[in-house]
Amino acid sequence: MLRRIAAWIDERAKVGDLYREQMIEYKVPKNLTFPYVFGVLALITFALQIVSGIILIMYYKPVIAHAFDSTNYTIMREIDFGWLFRHIHAAGANFFLAIVYLHMFTGIYYNAYKKPRELVWIVGWVIYFTLLVTALTGYLLPWGQLSYWGTVVTTEIPASLADAPVLKGIFGAIGETISIWMKGGYKLEDLALGRFFGLHVVFLPLILLGLVAIHLFLVRAAGISNPEGYEIDKKNEPEKLVPFHPYVTLKEGAIAMWYLALFFFFVFFYMSHFLPADNFEPADPLKTPPHIAPEWYLLGFYEVFRSIPSKFWGFVAFNLILLLLLLLPFLDFSPLRSARRRPLFFVMFLVFVISSMALTILGTMSPTPTNAKLGMFFTALVFLFFLSLPVISFVEWGWYKARGGQA
Amino acid sequence: MSAAGLIKTVFFTLITVGFFFIIWVYNPFAHKEVYELPEEAARIVGDPKAALEGRELFKQSCSSCHSVRYDGVYLMSVEAKPEWQKILKTMGKPILETQDGKVKIKGYYLPRDVYEAVALQDLENLKASFGKVPPDLSTIYLARGPGYLYQFIMDPQKVLPGTSMPKLFFPEYDKEAPQKVAKIVAYLRSVSEPSPSEKAKRLVMGVATVGYFILMGFILWFYRKRVLEKMGIS
Ligand code: HEC
Ligand code: HEM
Repeated sequence: MLRRIAAWIDERAKVGDLYREQMIEYKVPKNLTFPYVFGVLALITFALQIVSGIILIMYYKPVIAHAFDSTNYTIMREIDFGWLFRHIHAAGANFFLAIVYLHMFTGIYYNAYKKPRELVWIVGWVIYFTLLVTALTGYLLPWGQLSYWGTVVTTEIPASLADAPVLKGIFGAIGETISIWMKGGYKLEDLALGRFFGLHVVFLPLILLGLVAIHLFLVRAAGISNPEGYEIDKKNEPEKLVPFHPYVTLKEGAIAMWYLALFFFFVFFYMSHFLPADNFEPADPLKTPPHIAPEWYLLGFYEVFRSIPSKFWGFVAFNLILLLLLLLPFLDFSPLRSARRRPLFFVMFLVFVISSMALTILGTMSPTPTNAKLGMFFTALVFLFFLSLPVISFVEWGWYKARGGQA
Repeated sequence: MSAAGLIKTVFFTLITVGFFFIIWVYNPFAHKEVYELPEEAARIVGDPKAALEGRELFKQSCSSCHSVRYDGVYLMSVEAKPEWQKILKTMGKPILETQDGKVKIKGYYLPRDVYEAVALQDLENLKASFGKVPPDLSTIYLARGPGYLYQFIMDPQKVLPGTSMPKLFFPEYDKEAPQKVAKIVAYLRSVSEPSPSEKAKRLVMGVATVGYFILMGFILWFYRKRVLEKMGIS
């Protein structure tokens, strides 16, 4: 009976054809490495965030008088399993950003942003940016001391434009306008909380959902890149390709299970980083806590900003890094791809990875003069990575031509 | 995999795991204040019975200045108001507690804005005397931890110089003082942390969930091996 219902539906909806086309006849390189799993893990984490978020929104109250209590009393103590969903959502936000960073570094390592995948990268960048804003808006909602002061600091950052060497008036006005626009006024109050809430629970997730759909469509349209750095010819070397299902689905499925095991280990047994102690104190606009720093996924940018002595240039520098990241497919115009076949690129990639990590860790430390110098040093290395790409590409074009146009 | 490939894999794995360990679990570079909790006090803080005594001690010594709204404990002067019981029952939500298998009402949870409107004058009086409203202590245990609380209540000035919170316990005159403070901390802990039976439940749930996913991973892995063998791909 069930089978007949399924057949009846399939005859009309053609789900079977879709499945065959998209899962079995869809071929991917056999030699995909472990880091290619990060895209799927990001997808899983996104689903976890949506499900846990839907539960949380049923009990959360976006007004100052109730925000803190609705999270820490209603959700954490009154509602059965409310704590579980809050833990999932808080740990999930951190895991999401972590996985997306790993996914981006994978893309950079294998040069997956190159033709024909420039759009995949660009849409990915927009996802990344939206994700940062989503995390930032969500962070305010519990209305604890960290939520409040973290957001105060972040919304003050555009005001550093007033430090401009020229046209102070205009830059200052722009900075202040952005800052007021982010806060919904001069002070962080109910208005800001309401805005952040609306953005975090409806607008940004919808945008993300749309962007992820486009991202996946584009990935399918271009096909997955080959870690070896050349496109596999479907006709001449079919032995290098395997059907997506079951070859990849089962492999990534197994890894996804282990990923969830790690994730739930944190959810049940180690939440002290994802729900930091300071945020269990209700927001107090009259009491500035001793150490305020953004969340770890912004610390790299924050360290760039604060280690440069001029606020204006600090602001320009971290925005420039974001922009250069977007322009990566065009900075790197070499005909060669994948760090496996590009020794120069491999070295610069190492420089980039280590500098990013160092900047993030420096961001957790107190701003001593030595740390500021180190921060400047690693900022310079990050810029060196981006600026080296056109040079490396130029050199590699030389090698490529010398070899008669072979990669 | 070639030797170079192996080295690269190991290297990238190590720096990634190391990085997240520093950022998420233990950061040796970040400065962190440590507040010591004497062994005897640590034992009392972990004892659920001490928490019950701590609640009474809290009501006696602290509730003239602090409330614990999540536990239905309010300022003494507010609780003395003639209309108070009526306000609790109309505007509040009961806080339930299971004792010997029976569900009991332990107190009432009153929304913050309602409470602050009713207690307006009392809070303003406190502010006039101490320069600030003494905070509600419902979540203070999570925010500060047992060591800080113990040291702070024993001697506020030593931990937070310039604070207007008075020293209330004097071991010079009262031999029981350290135990009493530890009992109060035990009480604050019981307000913030799940009960021992709830903790045990969560432990079982956690182990079962993590175990389930590890097992499912292996099942998929071996299933895949068999499927691929059948299909002739290795
Ligand atoms: C006479 C009024 C008064 C009494 C009684 C009192 N406190 Fe306080 N308490 C204060 C004030 C005022 C503050 C705010 C201090 C500050 O932030 O500088 C405070 C702050 C605190 C803090 C927060 C410290 C921090 O790090 O922010 C804790 C915890 C605390 N009190 C616990 C207690 C306990 C436990 C008792 C009972 C043993 C108690 N207090 C009795 C007035 C009082
Ligand atoms: C919500 C977040 C994201 C999700 C759910 C997601 C999902 C995916 C998936 C499932 C794939 C295919 C499998 C893989 O190669 O891993 C993929 C590929 C890709 N993604 Fe993402 N992604 C996200 C964010 C990003 C970001 C932020 C970037 C970069 C800025 C990015 C860049 C890429 C690139 C370049 C590819 C192609 C990889 C290749 O063909 O080798 N993605 N993504």
